[in-house]
Amino acid sequence: MKKCETKWFGDRFRHYRKFFRVMKLLLILVFSGLMTFASSSYSQVATLSMNMTQANILDVFNAIESQTEYQIAYNSNNLDVSKKIDLKVNNKTVNEVLDMVLRPENMKYEFIGHYIVITDSQTEDAQLNQIRQTSLNISGTVTNTSGEPIPGVTVVLKGTTTGTISDSDGNYTLSNIPSDGTLVFSFVGLRSSEVMVSGRTRIDVKLQEETIGLDEVVAIGYGTQKKRDVTGSVQSINTEKLENLPVAQIGQKLQGQTAGVEILQTTGIPGQGMSIRIRGAASINASSDPLYVVDGFPIVGDISNINPDEIESISILKDASATSLYGSRAANGVVLIQTKQGKLGKTQVSLNAYYGIQSVPQNGRPDMMNAREFATFEKEIREENAAYTGTTANIPEEYQNPSQYEAGTNWYDVLLRNAPIQSYNLSVTANKDKLRTSVIGGYFKQDGALLNSSFSRYSLRINTEYDLNDKIKLGVNLAPNHSITETPNSDGVLWSGGIIEGAVLTSPIAKAINDDGTLPLTANAPGLFPNPNWYRVVQEVKNNTKATRILSNAYVEIEVLDGLKFKSSANIDLNNQQLLYFSPSTAGGIFAPPPQKTKAAITTSSYYSWLTENMLNYKNTFNNDHHINVLLGYTAQKYRYDYSKLNGTDFPDDQVTTLSAAATTTGTSDISEWSLLSWVSRINYNYKDKYLLSLAMRRDGSSRFGSNNRWGNFPSVSVGWIASEEDFMKSIDKLSYLKVRASYGITGNNNIGNYSYYAAVNSQNYVFNNVLANGKATTSLSNSELGWEKTSQLDVGVDVGLFKDRIFFQYDYFRKYTSDMLYSLSVPEASGFNDFTTNAGEFKFWGHEFVLSTKNMVSDFKWNTDFNISFVRNKVIDLGPGIDFIGGLTGDPHITEVGQPIGMFIGYVFDGIYNNQAELDAAPKHATSTVGTVRMKNTNDDNVIDDNDRTIIGNPSPKFTFGLTNSFNYKKFDLNIIISGAYGSEIMNRSLEYIQNLDGVFNVTKDVANRWRSPENPGDGIHPRAMIGTALARSINSRWVSDGSYATIKNITLGYTIPTQSKLKYFKSIRLYTSIQQALVLTKYNGSNPEVNINGGDALAQGIDWSVYPVPRTVSFGFNLNF
Amino acid sequence: MNEKNKHMKYMKTNIAILAAILLLVSSCSKDFLDVPPKSFVSSAEFYATKDNFTQALNGAYQSLHGVYHYAYVMGEMRSDNTHYYYKENDRGRQNVEREDIDGFVSDPINQYSGGKYNDCYEGISRTNVILDRIQGATFDDAAKNEIIGEAKFLRAFYYFELVQYFGGVPLYIHEVTKMSETALPRSTKEEVYNQIIEDAKDAAAKLPAVQSDKGRVTKGSANTLLGYVYMTLKNYSEAQTHLQAVVSSGTYSLLSDYASIFDPKNKNNAESIFEVQYHQGNQGLQSDWTYQFIPALSNTVVITGVVGNNGLIGGWNKPTDDLMSSYEEGDVRKAASIADGYTDADGNFVAMPFVIKYLHAHDNYNNTDDDWMVYRYADVLLLLAECLNDQGHPDQALPYLNQVRTRAGLANATTTDQGQLSEVIAHERRVELAFEDHRWLDLVRTGKAIDVMNAFRTVMKAKYPYLLDRTYQVNENKLIFPIPQTELTLNDQLVQNPGY
Repeated sequence: MKKCETKWFGDRFRHYRKFFRVMKLLLILVFSGLMTFASSSYSQVATLSMNMTQANILDVFNAIESQTEYQIAYNSNNLDVSKKIDLKVNNKTVNEVLDMVLRPENMKYEFIGHYIVITDSQTEDAQLNQIRQTSLNISGTVTNTSGEPIPGVTVVLKGTTTGTISDSDGNYTLSNIPSDGTLVFSFVGLRSSEVMVSGRTRIDVKLQEETIGLDEVVAIGYGTQKKRDVTGSVQSINTEKLENLPVAQIGQKLQGQTAGVEILQTTGIPGQGMSIRIRGAASINASSDPLYVVDGFPIVGDISNINPDEIESISILKDASATSLYGSRAANGVVLIQTKQGKLGKTQVSLNAYYGIQSVPQNGRPDMMNAREFATFEKEIREENAAYTGTTANIPEEYQNPSQYEAGTNWYDVLLRNAPIQSYNLSVTANKDKLRTSVIGGYFKQDGALLNSSFSRYSLRINTEYDLNDKIKLGVNLAPNHSITETPNSDGVLWSGGIIEGAVLTSPIAKAINDDGTLPLTANAPGLFPNPNWYRVVQEVKNNTKATRILSNAYVEIEVLDGLKFKSSANIDLNNQQLLYFSPSTAGGIFAPPPQKTKAAITTSSYYSWLTENMLNYKNTFNNDHHINVLLGYTAQKYRYDYSKLNGTDFPDDQVTTLSAAATTTGTSDISEWSLLSWVSRINYNYKDKYLLSLAMRRDGSSRFGSNNRWGNFPSVSVGWIASEEDFMKSIDKLSYLKVRASYGITGNNNIGNYSYYAAVNSQNYVFNNVLANGKATTSLSNSELGWEKTSQLDVGVDVGLFKDRIFFQYDYFRKYTSDMLYSLSVPEASGFNDFTTNAGEFKFWGHEFVLSTKNMVSDFKWNTDFNISFVRNKVIDLGPGIDFIGGLTGDPHITEVGQPIGMFIGYVFDGIYNNQAELDAAPKHATSTVGTVRMKNTNDDNVIDDNDRTIIGNPSPKFTFGLTNSFNYKKFDLNIIISGAYGSEIMNRSLEYIQNLDGVFNVTKDVANRWRSPENPGDGIHPRAMIGTALARSINSRWVSDGSYATIKNITLGYTIPTQSKLKYFKSIRLYTSIQQALVLTKYNGSNPEVNINGGDALAQGIDWSVYPVPRTVSFGFNLNF
Repeated sequence: MNEKNKHMKYMKTNIAILAAILLLVSSCSKDFLDVPPKSFVSSAEFYATKDNFTQALNGAYQSLHGVYHYAYVMGEMRSDNTHYYYKENDRGRQNVEREDIDGFVSDPINQYSGGKYNDCYEGISRTNVILDRIQGATFDDAAKNEIIGEAKFLRAFYYFELVQYFGGVPLYIHEVTKMSETALPRSTKEEVYNQIIEDAKDAAAKLPAVQSDKGRVTKGSANTLLGYVYMTLKNYSEAQTHLQAVVSSGTYSLLSDYASIFDPKNKNNAESIFEVQYHQGNQGLQSDWTYQFIPALSNTVVITGVVGNNGLIGGWNKPTDDLMSSYEEGDVRKAASIADGYTDADGNFVAMPFVIKYLHAHDNYNNTDDDWMVYRYADVLLLLAECLNDQGHPDQALPYLNQVRTRAGLANATTTDQGQLSEVIAHERRVELAFEDHRWLDLVRTGKAIDVMNAFRTVMKAKYPYLLDRTYQVNENKLIFPIPQTELTLNDQLVQNPGY
């Protein structure tokens, strides 16, 4: 009997296997979103029509099988399928038909998956029972915490690809699920839930919102960890929330999101200018940029050209225990970026697009004199000067009758336009068999608000992972991207060619466009420095950069033993960049109006960086309570940079822009390299999910350091205590979570150039016999002791969840010392050298970071708030033997002095004007002081104003920075408002040196009209008399320093999700939104951008404004389509 | 059991592979971290062969380009020879600081005096490296001695510049390799002069009379330097010895045509004793004084024949009326040195005098081929005349003086009154060597600077109302320049010169 049955079932199951394949195909189609297949009880929907006479039961079963998707299993010992019956049914359900057939036989049936299993009512067949046990039909409803159904939830049988998606009512049905299986419910923005089936056929699930997400897995260095278990200071950001911000770079999206991380948009140049500093990171000579790690690969350079839509999440590692596995490069913090991977059980096609218009707000535009005011100014200062010297004023004809002019040319406005910004991203994430794939193609184009500036990017990312078998996993990530940037030389001081400053200083009487539409070559006015027509310069000078970058990783992960995994990866970052520069004869610059010599240059640079990593990871649990995770690895990385530049001059005309037309070409090239070898190790230990311990250590060897000091060790330790897990705490029901943590560790900084420890012998050629004679000279001092710059950091933190985590609070205190700083000490030039690169000095940093996340309203109307505020301070402890300060020499606006915060502003203290002879006689004077000139404070009581009276006049570092995000949801509407700001930072507007120059050689700001003119007419007490030879007014002084505090509404996004029940069947969801980026800047600072910082990453030279590209306001519209 | 064994074997293989990979990657570590520079040589690898030292020596000469780029500001504008075209509207530091030196109001942050100081020390440091390392190199002594001779001349020359312009300065005579060696206190003037004399004498002993590489220093160069040094120290007999050695060497003679001395077609001619070498083109070896010396023009083609706008850089080293009127009637040197003005694009003559000694045909804007004459034979003749007259031998002085006057188309001087002759020689030096950066140091050496400049002040103030009251207040302190402020800041052993 048994034998017969077994054979019989075996046959039937072979048939079933084929059937499974069909079903799988169907499922894939379902997942692709092309069919909605989510009926909860097929048996009640499927109907049969039969008209059979004297057919045997087997024929009926075959008919059912052919008309439905069921397969029927029975035991021929219990049921005689050859029995003849008559059956006439019309539109009856399967149940009804089976009832009619089987009731007379005293048999019962059961739907198990897509089987109909027929048993006799008395006996339990062991094998059928087995089918029943291992294979259930499960259905249920997924709701959120307030009981509303959630459509689109992915429900997957854990460890398989079997799954479905909940329908518009939140219902799902899964067939063929083993009774001891586990279902995983996941949905974006909600905490995933795993539910044991335990034999149930109906499983209703409430999904929690993920605002706190303690069970969320966050990326840490070389692995992941549950947020609950993290002992270091790690802030993770899910970029999905930030998807719709109409900006080019991920850095812009992170503004306002992070505590202890100052993210500034220092300029509006498309695709550039983001400055990211973690916990005030600063060093004397080394960069303060964090290390960026993309999919485990510490990349060279920054992340500005990575398509933000490729990024799934970002972890910012702040303290030493979080960063120490990046050793010699970790001192400035680490930004881990995970790109989108194919998700388990989820196949999705989505299209995101937006289009917007950028415009420069009126606020913050320089308030320059118009044509009439300017002519008046030029006329008056000549009259005033003539009066002083007792001569007659010689007033050029152009200025004699100012009333003939109206507004004239506003040279700032001339450079600007309203410009479009657009972005399109198509992504496909799929999970088929053992292959997980994510493909994202993007096109982004931002035309700049400044003429002729633009940034466009074509990007593609293919991330694939394949399970070779259940022990071996292979993965390949490949991300090519190509960007094209057109960047006029807009920012910075006029001497370096800054177009914006040059333009605002130009006479408003001069025309940018002639009345007949032609473009003048020059924009000159009597007495002014000769100027080109900036409207031509900005458009005609080409500065075109094309960059191609390929980031890729390939890896294999082998599970060697249970819990022991070996992962080996090869990573490569390839970059190729070409800058084409062409300046036609009609362009020119300030002081050098056209016609100029036509110039062209091609700069080509390329680099590669490769990295191999070999990692062993052992993870196990002993006696249920001891969870350990051990990591040991070895890595090698190498970098090479090739640079070449060709210059061309002596072009016959402007027609051919390539060097082929240049009669003279010159060139240069350069190569630089570095290599790094490292050991990494870490032990994470977790006892009873209450006590956490992490020990980590990296050992780095670098080619950049002196042979005597080549290797460095970077250890760290951190501990955590989840107090809320203690029994005595569990009684406090308002407190849902409490963790206390502390860490200490040492990290390094190696950003000082590749060959700093060598004494370089460079070419210094001379001439003999009227031909070149090769010459060489030692141009720098060597230091074979040169070693790592070290940062030791202590971090103490507490995480608190209240009212079931509706209020979640996080606090961190940190204190770090950066010592042995890599520093080029200035040495007396009499030695023949300018500086000596050494390890010297010590900075102290400390700060408090607060993060508060609250769910203010959770009903129909939802309101969540995320707030962060950080107080970061620093102090110079030491600057090396015998050195009291760095910088601060004449003309340098910054000084870093022992006992003071780093990078303070230094200059004269502005003290008004010598209004009359009596005031002048009574006060200490500068050599150039006369009545009506500026009075600077005599700070050293020597009764004379000179260089020694310069003192500290400001601090560019903010007292605190903050971010505030409010999200609102009401039915299908969502609203998100992001604010970021800083308080107490000061800005030195060095443009004032020029835009308030009283020599009459530039256009000036309107308030210069209120200058001192005579003792009787002393003006506003700020602007001195128009007189040459009184350059003290143009020396760095406190009047240029102003409060740079700001609060910027970075983004407001309003979205509407079209209900999926609507007729748009092919879309899973559609969301339409509108957004305003850089909506409103609230600041007292009167320049264009309170986040300005012309010196980029130089932490000792922050807060300087020299006329920068304004950050535009962007109004955009977009949609997210999910298929 | 069998299954388990198989599993164990699989495991063992895995672990073996793992171990092999880890070993493999870690075994190559030493070489992997050795990444020598590709775009420059490190000093540990250099300084071995004769060719290395020759290149290092050429590098030490190269500092002369820095020293002479703005040498006229302290050498001529400081004196009564030249002034500038005042740019009322361009008050940039680069202009004001040149005017400050002209007007005796410069301060320790002045980039021109600071630049001179730093450039001289750059050259000194380059010679120190050579002199310290050459003994350890393995090539023949004869070749070494030639290099040592040139290097010592250069070191002495740079220190002579420093001591004349700044007084007793720190004496760096060895290669600086450590932080601790970078700051030294000031030595006395005497100590500096002793070093100069020691070096220059050794140079004179080692250097050949003639160099096959035109432009390298010779025995004559070293003797001229020694002549100047001893004249400055008023050690006339020693000065005479060395100057006489130059004259009697027979190596040098006056060119018959004064203007041709400076013509780049005629570089390193028979009259040239030490000449800073330049070469026009795009190798960065060109000179450019002409563009600083002619008036500021929107198009320089009317003077130089080359299109360009020297509006920002021109208008310096303008000959004073005082100098122009001091040329004797018939002196051919005036027309060879000074243009009264230029003809503009419309054909109008613009009366703006400027220096033309360094104005010759060239190909590109601000890129000329002119050398700078440091020492020449006429200079030695006049210095020897001065030396002999100072020793009370006016009669012996006259023949040397008159060689120079004859070439200038002038009648012989005849006075044998020591005082009168002293004036005649000083005037002769002024016009013969005008715009060659001798005037200010001549005034200081001969002790006339304070009187001459205070008299000059009256003339200038009357003529140029833009000159502030505080300008041209010349006293003993103003005979030398201040030590650069950054040096004082970085080296607290330094003491500033009085009056600054």
